[in-house]
Amino acid sequence: MSPQTTKVGIISCSGEAIPEGTISRLATRRVLELLRPNATVTLCLPLFLAGNEAERNFAKTHPTITIDGCEKQCAKWGTEEHSGPVSSALVVTGILGTRAVGCHRASRDATQPDKEAVWAVAERIAAEVDTVLAETGPRDDVAAGSSGAQCSCSSPASGGKLIVLGVAVSIPGLPLIFEQCVERDIPADTGGCSALVEAVRIYRRILPEEETGYRSALLAAYQAFRSGPQPAK
Amino acid sequence: MGNEPIKNAVLVIPCSGIGKVHGLMSREATYLVTDELAPAQTDTLCLALLVKGDSEAVAAVRSHACITIDGCVKACAEKNVAMAGGRVAKAIQVAEAFKNHRGAKPGNATALTDDGWTITREIADSVACEAASLCASEEAIR
Repeated sequence: MSPQTTKVGIISCSGEAIPEGTISRLATRRVLELLRPNATVTLCLPLFLAGNEAERNFAKTHPTITIDGCEKQCAKWGTEEHSGPVSSALVVTGILGTRAVGCHRASRDATQPDKEAVWAVAERIAAEVDTVLAETGPRDDVAAGSSGAQCSCSSPASGGKLIVLGVAVSIPGLPLIFEQCVERDIPADTGGCSALVEAVRIYRRILPEEETGYRSALLAAYQAFRSGPQPAK
Repeated sequence: MGNEPIKNAVLVIPCSGIGKVHGLMSREATYLVTDELAPAQTDTLCLALLVKGDSEAVAAVRSHACITIDGCVKACAEKNVAMAGGRVAKAIQVAEAFKNHRGAKPGNATALTDDGWTITREIADSVACEAASLCASEEAIR
């Protein structure tokens, strides 16, 4: 598998019976759309039984991470039984602990704790994608989204442009990152700079010598974002 | 299910397909039925449990009438229930519901628009009616 074509497969259990299943599904979508759009693909777990040979070979052709809602680990077991061994297996309850208590199955019931839970799990999956890619071959800034490649089932989120130390930088999903920062009550002043940089660092590598430039550029962009119209909740 | 025993007569099982809006519609339609429209008659279980071959899930689909809701023609929910030896009393395809909503923009695999919710609620209404009918016929048999 060449470094140019290596994409990490993410298989979510999407368990319908429990809120953690909804979290696993939405967190996987977030990684595909926003966090690692050029480095990840997915497949519906039930296709391992209902699909064809190509679909059953998924875990043989992609390093695969499973994300399960509970300790039954249906995605892990189903993938390994019907497709192939997985590179890593995550469990929502293991990541969130008691933070999943009070979350909901249906999206129409979702509240702030649901959103926070999805973000936390998505960030954990993204970190695992980076680890798997580091083990399977060189990684060419997959988080920055510059290759033009797309995941198998969706397009990357639209990006935001910044001028950092005189250089134009594109950050995938920057408006969504800012939206999350607003929800977390991160202030649009110098007190919020560190939190902004940490939020963006999840999606884009920031070298130590670039950090000062990112702080001022992100703060200015965040202030502009907050002064504009906010998306409907 | 996942973790709770199933008490109600009819199991509603969506594909929850992760790649397209139709999978999300199947999932949300299921919750509308089990949580709002017919909570005393219906329940759901994790389709992934069937993929795993979990003995309780297999027993559940064999002992309950199942309504499957699939997002695409691959019909993963229907096929997995059938492969587990379950009783598929009604198999619904989300795409069928779009026939009366040409040009609708339902959203994406992460979130539904107003169009998406309208169609999803129609699917849920249809499933709730089917569940009521199944419950009535099972009562009649007793």
